[in-house]
Amino acid sequence: MLRREINDLLTQTGPKTPMGEMFRQYWMPALLAEELAEDDCPQVRIKLLSERLVAFRDSEGRYGLIDEFCAHRGASLWFGRVEEGGIRCAYHGWKFDVTGQCVEVPSEADNSSFCANVKLRSYPLVKLGDMLWTYMGDPATIPPLPQWEFALVPPEQTYSSKRWQQSNWLQAFEGGIDSSHVTFLHSGGLKSDPLFRGAKGNEYNLHDTKPFFEVVDAEGGLFVGARRNAEEGKYYWRITPWIMPNFTMVPPRGDHPIHGHFWVPIDDENCWAYSFDYHPVRALTTDERQAMIDGHGVHSENIPGTYRPVANMDNDYLMDREAQRRGDYYSGIKGIAIQDSSLQESMGPIVDRTKERLVPADSGIIKARQKLRKAVLALRDEGVTPPGVDPAHHHVRSAAVVLDAKEAFLDSCRDAVRVVPGTPVASV
Amino acid sequence: MPGPLTYPPTTQVPPARTLASCARAATAAELAYRIDVPIAPSRGVRVVALDDGAAAMTARVAAREWVSARFLVADATGAGDDPADMLLHGIGGPSAGLEEHLVDADVVMMIASNDSAATGAYLLGYACWQRSIMTAGLVLDGLAAPEVVAALRPHARVLLPAADESDIVEMLIALRA
Repeated sequence: MLRREINDLLTQTGPKTPMGEMFRQYWMPALLAEELAEDDCPQVRIKLLSERLVAFRDSEGRYGLIDEFCAHRGASLWFGRVEEGGIRCAYHGWKFDVTGQCVEVPSEADNSSFCANVKLRSYPLVKLGDMLWTYMGDPATIPPLPQWEFALVPPEQTYSSKRWQQSNWLQAFEGGIDSSHVTFLHSGGLKSDPLFRGAKGNEYNLHDTKPFFEVVDAEGGLFVGARRNAEEGKYYWRITPWIMPNFTMVPPRGDHPIHGHFWVPIDDENCWAYSFDYHPVRALTTDERQAMIDGHGVHSENIPGTYRPVANMDNDYLMDREAQRRGDYYSGIKGIAIQDSSLQESMGPIVDRTKERLVPADSGIIKARQKLRKAVLALRDEGVTPPGVDPAHHHVRSAAVVLDAKEAFLDSCRDAVRVVPGTPVASV
Repeated sequence: MPGPLTYPPTTQVPPARTLASCARAATAAELAYRIDVPIAPSRGVRVVALDDGAAAMTARVAAREWVSARFLVADATGAGDDPADMLLHGIGGPSAGLEEHLVDADVVMMIASNDSAATGAYLLGYACWQRSIMTAGLVLDGLAAPEVVAALRPHARVLLPAADESDIVEMLIALRA
């Protein structure tokens, strides 16, 4: 249960809201790099943190993320022309560069200084790995670029996708640190998904449906350890890191690539689920990459030309009751990602957390909400930079290990949950 | 390759012709039709301090307003290996044996601050496990108290080895205690 005012505090991310101000402290995925694949390619309009923007790549390969609407009459620049070092409004030809600076007003004299005083709001847009990242906060306090391992390994070792989720970011994110649902909702996928199946750890997952949890503070957020019985005197631990505010990783399975998510607010009723897979020591195989493109693992099969999943609320997520009966999919929905999104979207655009009935096993979620609330208020009231802004906090991995029953998971896994470039993940 | 059509609609109003029940059911408007009756508070939460340091903090938490949570301090001296011999002193309530306090409990939060609580932690955790009572273990400085962390681990469904007072409060609120 969460009090209504705290639910509002954590779910509202628009400009001038406390949570929105906190999100604006971080570099955040804004687009996939494939969306602006070449110079002067078609622009993309996006909404982030309830702000409508247009992203483009100019003739010299510079990325721009600016106010969607022309300073002149408010027409959308999505209709404009990306050409000759800027984006030109289709209505009257006003032209803006990647910083939002107006560089040409055709109706004015050639030597007019008019446009020098016209500038649209703009945010930096930087390519790192497969994603384009933006920072929407005060330019005076822009942090160093992020250092997530998935974005720093060579291109052949990483793959990213995204999908539109029709819910508030918080209920999507909370699924990312809720390890106890895996045994039920994703049980079919553990047996069949090409990016999950075959791992020894899956057997522990499926044989012990009542995990125990340990929740431990990390510099940037939390580590949530889920413990299941393994062989006599041993426990199987799945360790999920959360780095504030919206980065989570899924514990690995065997030698499969390791994966995770960013949950980025579009507005208060929609979010982007950015999903990544990478392997720290080898290239992804052709089959692995194709499986990701096909929507297996944490990825989704999207409607061509969009980032909306093929299975969505408008077609009841292609519910298959026969497959549910057979046990192929516990909920009758195909695919790990859509199994999650279907249930999270069913809660409504912003779930009413005053009506929850939580249990101790939800402590990861309880603790995460507490840390978010404290950080939001510390920023608002005292100007304290929140955890997760410092790139040093990004050097985390998830892990899946079998430990002696007497061992504390974090004591035994400090190296396993820390990025050491070029070393394999700890995985069972 | 996905093109530029990546911009979602600004509202979740489904297309007028959709027959999909999920699209209609997941709108904000439909939320108004959810059954709206008060959710009963948890009736069986016990917060048990296992040592003096934990008792002081538990007493502060107990001073706040709660629906039904019962706050206790465990006394394992003389319990030996049998949890049934543990005595639980009520903070603002009666003292009684373990059985009496656990008979209608559904969640037990065990609070510890040092290794002196290890025996009590194990015994109480075991007693709860025998009775299928959900348990949480919160250790106020787990790094300095590895024995009590180890004693809680076998039975505590959730373990927070570096908890503070706010963790106790937040968990109680979340549990509707």
